[in-house]
Amino acid sequence: MLRKDINELLTQTGPGTAMGEMFRQYWMPAMLAEELPEDDCPPVRVKLLSERMVAFRDSEGRYGLVDEFCAHRGASLWFGRNEGSGLRCPYHGWKYDVTGQCVEVPSEADNSSFCQNVKLTSYPLVRIGDVLWTYMGDPAKTPPLPEYEFAQVPAEQTYTSKRWQQCNWLQAFEGGIDSSHVTFLHSGGLKSDPLFKGAKGNEYNMKDTKPFFEVADTEGGLFVGARRNAEDGTYYWRITPWVMPNFTMVPPRGDHPVHGHFWVPIDDENCWAYSFDYHPVRALTATERQAMVDGHGVHSKNIPGTYRPAANMDNDYLIDREAQKRGETYSGVAGIAMQDASLQESMGPVVDRTKERLVPADSGIIKARQKLRKAALALRDEGVTPPGVDPEHHRVRSAAIVLPQAESFLDACRDAVTVQPGVRQTTV
Amino acid sequence: MTVARTSQAPTPPAQQRQQEAHQQLSQCARATSAYESRFRIDRPIVPARAARVVALDERAVAVARRVAGRQWAHARFYACEGGDPLDPVLRRLDGVPAPLRQVLTGTDVVVVLATEDSGEAYAAAIGRTCWERGITTAGLVLGIDYEAQDAVAALRPYARVLLPSADESDVLELLTALRV
Ligand code: FES
Ligand SMILES: [Fe+2]
Repeated sequence: MLRKDINELLTQTGPGTAMGEMFRQYWMPAMLAEELPEDDCPPVRVKLLSERMVAFRDSEGRYGLVDEFCAHRGASLWFGRNEGSGLRCPYHGWKYDVTGQCVEVPSEADNSSFCQNVKLTSYPLVRIGDVLWTYMGDPAKTPPLPEYEFAQVPAEQTYTSKRWQQCNWLQAFEGGIDSSHVTFLHSGGLKSDPLFKGAKGNEYNMKDTKPFFEVADTEGGLFVGARRNAEDGTYYWRITPWVMPNFTMVPPRGDHPVHGHFWVPIDDENCWAYSFDYHPVRALTATERQAMVDGHGVHSKNIPGTYRPAANMDNDYLIDREAQKRGETYSGVAGIAMQDASLQESMGPVVDRTKERLVPADSGIIKARQKLRKAALALRDEGVTPPGVDPEHHRVRSAAIVLPQAESFLDACRDAVTVQPGVRQTTV
Repeated sequence: MTVARTSQAPTPPAQQRQQEAHQQLSQCARATSAYESRFRIDRPIVPARAARVVALDERAVAVARRVAGRQWAHARFYACEGGDPLDPVLRRLDGVPAPLRQVLTGTDVVVVLATEDSGEAYAAAIGRTCWERGITTAGLVLGIDYEAQDAVAALRPYARVLLPSADESDVLELLTALRV
């Protein structure tokens, strides 16, 4: 259980809130690069941390993320004409560049300097990998660009999708470090999903449904180790990294690509789940990439032209009680992503954490909440830069490994949980 | 409890439209609406856990003492005094001796605190006894982990969760979250 005031602290990320200010210290995924596929393409509405913006790519290929509403009389620039190196409001023709600077006010005299004093709030938008990242904090304190491995490997080794999740970011994120639900909720997927099945590790996963946990603090977040019994005298460990505030990875299975998530607040009742899959040392095969596009693994099948999952709350997630009975799915909902999302959304937009009954197996979540709270307060009260801003903290990996029982996973896995370019992931 | 609508007053059209729209929603969309969330059963939650917190060494006892000063429902705090590693002697923080078996009667979660390796043998004994009795065990190692690696290793086979680099606030946080 969590006190009401702490729940509010952790779940509210709008401007001026403690957690909102903390999120504004980081580079965050703002959108997928595919959403702005070419120069002068249509602008896209983007809402992050409870701020409404519009993103566009100008005639020179520069990306911009600016206040959605025209400075003149507040029309949405989503209707804007993206042409001639700027976005022009179609109402009275005011035009802005990618920094939000107004460059033309047609009603003013030709040589008027009026527009120089008109600037929309704007944030940087930078492409790294398949993702366009933004930083919404104080420009004077812009941190170095992110260095997550999934965004750094060559394009043929990585794939990222996103889906809209209709609940607060913390609810979604907590699923990302909650290793104990896999054997239940996703048990069907371990057997059948093309991006999960076939790994030796899955057998340990299925045989031992009562994992033990070790939660280890790191500079940038946590490593949550879940161990299950393996062959005599050994344990099968699955190690889930969390980089503050909202990056999690799933421990690998066999030679399948490694996956993970970013859980980005849209507003306090919605978030984006960015789901990535990459292989540190090889290109994704055509079959793997197709499976991802088709919504397998951690990805979702979305309604064409949108990032809303095809199975969503408006159709009761296409729940199939027969498939549940047959044992194909544990909850009746198909697909790993929507199995998680359906249950997390069912808690309500912002779950009331004063009503929980946590157990020791939830210690990863307990610890993560504590770290988030401490970091948000340290930033607010003392100006301390939170963990996870330093790109050094981004260079983590998940791992799956069989170890002698006496060994501590942290000692045994230091290298395995650190990015080593060109070195294969540690996996079973 | 349902809210009764007065039967005479005709429903205003706007409200009726809203109601109809609400009824047309899928079950899940309706169930997660703000309107429906008002009908969640709201009864006080009974503290579920009769926890025992056992400190294995002097510094751990000091932490236990401070944490024990807070308000807890059923949690009780003990110091491990040593004695026969197979049957360690515990003491309540006020000094009254308490045999391990007695301490474990009626409890369902034990939180073990350690800051160093001196309590290794006792960690193993407590862990094993809890295991045999089906009592969930959590181990918190306070401070720098290398000082207590053996204690961690002794607890590892039994503790459902280990926090190898914890601090005092983790103890508070865990006990609060567990509603003890
Ligand atoms: S079993 Fe975890 S939410 Fe129900
Ligand atoms: Fe999941």
